[in-house]
Amino acid sequence: MERNIAEINEVVQNATIHARGNSLKHRKKRDPTRPAARWITEARVGRERGTALAVVLSTIGCAHARSDSGGCTMCSYLLDGVEESPTPEQILSQFRLAMAELESKSAPLSIKIYTSGSFLDPDEIPPIARSEILRIIAEDKRIREVVLESRPEYINDQVLSGVRSILGDRIIEIGMGLESSSDTVRSVCINKNFDLNAFKIALKTAKNHNIGIRAYVLLKPPLLSERDALLDATKTIQEAKALGVTTVSLNPVNVQKDTLVEKLWSKGRYRPPWLWSVLEVLRNAGSGTDRWMKIVCDPVAGGKQRGAHNCGKCDTGIVEAIRQFSISQDSTVLQNHTCECISQWKHVLKHEDFALVVHR
Amino acid sequence: MAEFRVGRGHDGPARVGEYILGPTTYITPLLASSFTSSDTIIAYGALDRDSPLSDKPMLVALPFAGHIDDIPFSKIRESDAVILPSLISFASLSSDASNLVLKYQHEVLSKTTPDLDASRTVIRIPSDADSVLLSKLTEVGPLGAMFSFNGHLGPQDFGAIKTRSRLPLHMMTLAAGRIEPGLIPLLYYTGFDVIDVGYAEESATASERLWKNGSEKIELGKDRRYCSCPACAKLDTAGTKDLQGILLEHNLSIYRSVLSESQEAMKTGRLRWLVESSTHNSPAQASLVRSVNNELYSYIEEFSPTTGPKALPVIGSESYHAPVVQRFRDFVANRYTPPANKSIVVLLPCSAKKPYSDSKSHRRFASTIQSAMFGLESRVAEVILTSPLGLVPRELERIYPAGQYDIPVTGDWDAEEIEIGASALATHLRKFSSSAVVIAHVSGGYLDIVRAVESRIEQSLIYTTPEGRATSRPSLEALKETLEDIKSILNLSGGPRTELEEIVSATADYQFGTGAGNVLVPANAKLKGKPYRMILCSVDGEQVCSFVAESGSLSLTLAGGRLLAPLKRYWVRLEAPKVKGGSVFAVGVQEADFAIRPGDEVFVINRADDVIAVGRSDMSGREMCELTRGRAVSVRHKKE
Repeated sequence: MERNIAEINEVVQNATIHARGNSLKHRKKRDPTRPAARWITEARVGRERGTALAVVLSTIGCAHARSDSGGCTMCSYLLDGVEESPTPEQILSQFRLAMAELESKSAPLSIKIYTSGSFLDPDEIPPIARSEILRIIAEDKRIREVVLESRPEYINDQVLSGVRSILGDRIIEIGMGLESSSDTVRSVCINKNFDLNAFKIALKTAKNHNIGIRAYVLLKPPLLSERDALLDATKTIQEAKALGVTTVSLNPVNVQKDTLVEKLWSKGRYRPPWLWSVLEVLRNAGSGTDRWMKIVCDPVAGGKQRGAHNCGKCDTGIVEAIRQFSISQDSTVLQNHTCECISQWKHVLKHEDFALVVHR
Repeated sequence: MAEFRVGRGHDGPARVGEYILGPTTYITPLLASSFTSSDTIIAYGALDRDSPLSDKPMLVALPFAGHIDDIPFSKIRESDAVILPSLISFASLSSDASNLVLKYQHEVLSKTTPDLDASRTVIRIPSDADSVLLSKLTEVGPLGAMFSFNGHLGPQDFGAIKTRSRLPLHMMTLAAGRIEPGLIPLLYYTGFDVIDVGYAEESATASERLWKNGSEKIELGKDRRYCSCPACAKLDTAGTKDLQGILLEHNLSIYRSVLSESQEAMKTGRLRWLVESSTHNSPAQASLVRSVNNELYSYIEEFSPTTGPKALPVIGSESYHAPVVQRFRDFVANRYTPPANKSIVVLLPCSAKKPYSDSKSHRRFASTIQSAMFGLESRVAEVILTSPLGLVPRELERIYPAGQYDIPVTGDWDAEEIEIGASALATHLRKFSSSAVVIAHVSGGYLDIVRAVESRIEQSLIYTTPEGRATSRPSLEALKETLEDIKSILNLSGGPRTELEEIVSATADYQFGTGAGNVLVPANAKLKGKPYRMILCSVDGEQVCSFVAESGSLSLTLAGGRLLAPLKRYWVRLEAPKVKGGSVFAVGVQEADFAIRPGDEVFVINRADDVIAVGRSDMSGREMCELTRGRAVSVRHKKE
């Protein structure tokens, strides 16, 4: 059976590479001195309400996505990157530009640094640029929390002690794409290319440096039925909690360009999750929480065809409730939603599992 | 243990059967649902995710797992049928993917047996499954096969039907997915035994009321179609929260009614007609039916009986290549040989009344020919032009479907019908001497057929319908004069029509292939009887066969079977030396001629090649070999 799974994984990998096609060569020309994106949101910083800056640095992109293994089935963040690796100076100038957004903001602040890849991958962000960015943060007393992103293979004692020593006693979290606690789902449906063990090791290493882990949990990768997906995400959150992650970020799949997901979606062979499923997963996750693990969710393209959506009538309210929950951690906002389409969703849960035909 | 028993009767690959799970026997065709179950609806659900609706055995689907230990086998109830796991949409990724779907299930199956009897398992088959891998998997012994329909009626759905046609005959087949009620006749016709009605619920949750050929959005308080069902009677007083329940009840009743209609149609030999009528449900459905007709003809034909209802509706262009119609044209073209002494071929129009001889027009033609030829009738061959059978030699006018087909008779033929007729006629006339004279006593569309072949035939051709109507007095007069002229010009001699010999001989060729007529009706054969009742044929004082007017076909005696045996066609070989009782069962059949269709006259031999019985087949030759149950032949005579 292991061999079958490996063969299935290989087919998915080839299909992913195929779906990506030439899209990498046709990446938009970007100014290497400007970040791919930056935005400011109201957010929970520690136990208080504050402001968060998110910056997406333009880099050469995720090594896994650039490699022969084709990257993940749902991800085209790579397309935010640039063709040639920017110099450390250019990366710094991207970061400074983003920091300018915070000029008028008051404490507490949180900074999230995304790269469409791994911040700790030295090929993506040269160590000298990494240290300099962290130093800029260290100089700003308003900043209480720093969130970085990395695949587990770049997380080791040496790198983390460097990070910790520069940032002092700030809250540090590293976002890692656990996606699913099932190795089968992570490999077959996502093509993530690391196993649960690698995640556990990275988590332990981070803990030794008093660095938390923000586990990204994917809701509804391709090749799963709606209920498979719901159950898998619920189970993953439980297991992530048991492993001791500090935050769970639930990510309902949205249909990104030039991905396997998009290819399946355009042929009616994939549908992003129902918002009912998102609610259900969050409610299940909340029910056993002892309040120290945070659960956040920001459904990208929520309510739209390419994102988690319901019938169209109830979507806005539910997406808003999910965002509120992420800030307040108050699970009562997830209760008492209803709409005619809930019975349609219930039908899909049962019928898709049996018929293995994607429902609208 | 699970069992699937294929029962008696066929209309195309459609069949009745018994799906036996533990103490419960479900009669197929059967519906399947996750929301209700009964004697006629089997429940389904996912293992450990859906709780069973009742104590009765159900279809339980296993979730996909990376390790065999991840499947909670202990939760499977004792008699449930078990659907093997797969990944949604995976097979569509590539042909490798589709192969892996089968390989993965093969692996699961090998790991679960013997704890779980293979007969209880149902395999999920991608619509483009590889034949070799599929047969390897079916050899392990799963009794069920499941196909997923996305409801677009496009390549995937057609692929599912096509792949189903390659399955071993003993397997129960399940059609799941988005299946609208209007598709049921086609699915049943193409050999699906269990049909998922999940779409009844999907529609109800979207406030849609389903009909046999479409759907309707229901909003309370707004106009809607009239419906006589008890559920819809509640709509007038219903509140919003009752709506889905009412619609589900209605939708389910539509599925039940269409399935019941299909079952009844199958029993009465009209399922093909029902399928043809369903082509007008939508362009997509018409395309699907056409693809089935074109690409799966041999599969459909193999199970289409050679006998049928008293009136067989043959209405639209979908009928032109219906198996019984196409087969008739093929047999006339390939098996029929006209008697050697025919010098005149009279082409006649068909009549609405069957057999033609019983119609007013044909009685007039007969008396005209008789009075003109007066004693030399044996020199005239009568050929009736018709659509979509092409043509019918007079001798075969009672055989199925020539004696039973029922077409709209406005005389307007489309280009395809004319081409079908023309090609049949050109082939037919090549079988006559080039010195024969062809008289076209036809008008309208029939005339178009004759004109279309004028350049393709060697014989001289005379038209005898100056007034445009074959039955008009001037036309009949012209026919009479023409016949008389030819008679004297060719200086014909001969005798009265040898009608009985011609009918029995032509029918023998038609039923058993070229040469059978000479064997069953040799020069010294003695015939007696009436074409419209029965003709008995004896050779050397022993009866060899009888022609039964009602069916237009021959019944053999043991002596007849012995005469036919050397032709090696339409035989069934038993393992036993003798036949016991009034039936031969498939389990006892060692081998059989794959040309046998349900309803064919066959003879039964033993290992020593002795003819030990004759009778009518109840299944196709391949079924006799592959199935291990069911009646193969209804025996008429047997060696004591």
